[in-house]
Amino acid sequence: MHFIYAILIAGALGAVNILLLRMNNATPVPEGCEDLTPDCSACGIRDCALREQYMSQKGERTE
Amino acid sequence: MSEKNEKRSFFSEMLYNNPVFGLYLGICSTLAISTSLNNALGMGVSVIFVLVLSNILVSMIARITPDEIHIPVYIVIIATLVTLVGMLLQAYTPSLYSTLGAYVDLIVVNCIILGRAEAFACKNGVAASAKDGLMMGLSYTFSLMAISLIRQILGTGILSLSNPFTNTELFALRLIPTGFEIPIFKSQTGAFLTFAVLAALVAAYKKSNDDKAAKAEKEAKAAKAAAAKAAAAKAKEANA
Amino acid sequence: MSLSSLFTLLISGILINNVVLTKFLGMCPFMGVSTKLSSAVGMGVAVIFVIFGSSVLAWLLYYYVLDPLDIEYMELITFILLIAAFVQFVEMFIKKNSPALYKSLGIFLPLITTNCVVLFVAQDNITQGYNLIETIVNSIAVPAGFMLMLVIFATIRERLSGCDIPEAFKGNPIAFIVAGIMAVAFSAFAGLV
Repeated sequence: MHFIYAILIAGALGAVNILLLRMNNATPVPEGCEDLTPDCSACGIRDCALREQYMSQKGERTE
Repeated sequence: MSEKNEKRSFFSEMLYNNPVFGLYLGICSTLAISTSLNNALGMGVSVIFVLVLSNILVSMIARITPDEIHIPVYIVIIATLVTLVGMLLQAYTPSLYSTLGAYVDLIVVNCIILGRAEAFACKNGVAASAKDGLMMGLSYTFSLMAISLIRQILGTGILSLSNPFTNTELFALRLIPTGFEIPIFKSQTGAFLTFAVLAALVAAYKKSNDDKAAKAEKEAKAAKAAAAKAAAAKAKEANA
Repeated sequence: MSLSSLFTLLISGILINNVVLTKFLGMCPFMGVSTKLSSAVGMGVAVIFVIFGSSVLAWLLYYYVLDPLDIEYMELITFILLIAAFVQFVEMFIKKNSPALYKSLGIFLPLITTNCVVLFVAQDNITQGYNLIETIVNSIAVPAGFMLMLVIFATIRERLSGCDIPEAFKGNPIAFIVAGIMAVAFSAFAGLV
């Protein structure tokens, strides 16, 4: 019985998440800030603006 | 020659693709856990479990997930798996769970799992993703064991392993006589220093490999150019 | 929960039990963002804000929703979803209201979602059983300590970039050695309170 609450809460939070993500993607970046990239040479994970460059480096290594 | 290449390439693949020393992913739990071999094995097995299952699940649902919302979906899958692993550890290996502490839950934000899900599992089939998860998990476990071995042997002088399910000691070897161990390896500084030295060794190995490969390629190119020149000279001679 | 115990919590979060040097958390952005002082400061402020907001919200979520409904096992999933949602909200808010702020710290916000420190603080407040005031103090102290480490590290690394380092140690390995030395230095604070 309790797991229904769990699924509801998780579902509600997930829906809030998706809603905010949609709203965030729809908000335009203020002008003057389009080409900013964080300096993240060590993280190499998702959402990192240098991820494609990092992944292509990794691809060279594996081949 | 090809056999030696294959064997070396498995070992060097473990080093090149090494998530800890090569790509610096998931360092948070690595440094904190590596005080003893038991902890390393426990954390490594948990990460393998989560990684393989998350890769399988992500590769199964990747095609039906809209691209915009794939991050929260993957995170929920991984968080569910980590909660599951935490409960299993708490039930069957309570001493290991209390030693690992908060780091079990931090497997969720371990960059390796989300990184592999994004980079590999969402683009490949189930079997390939599972195998990739297993390989990554194994190389993570080996790196963890490397750091833990050094820290445990140098820090406490004893190499020991105990059964986490029943908390009985399997063996305990004293490798360094009492009084000669270096206690700094038990502390945080020891973790940082061990990690730095091992990472530098892997970087040096990679660099020397890359240098050798570049040199071999250059020589092969030069040999090919020389052979082409010789063939052209021969053709000119035959013509004239 | 006197003022002195809150002060102890503050000092302990920033100096004594510094989350980077004693608990090894927040290493990924620590290594990546600490090469320039300006990006270190930006990341630090962003982390303080995100951790404060999301930890207080997580505390409220735990004690007013999860605990009464008897579903504490959902803690991890709900906390991480809450953190992700909060980061999206903050980024959207900054984008709309302050381009200057977005320029200096908005770009670090997506990196913070999977930062170990955020989830750790949110869960630690529950594990240690803090009440709301202690949660607020802890959630400001711990990321302030993280920012302190980032800034110190950035200045050291800026100096290091002009030095003659062996090839194998360039980049991350020398940074870890610096972190190890800083861990020894900061362990001197252990007897402070």
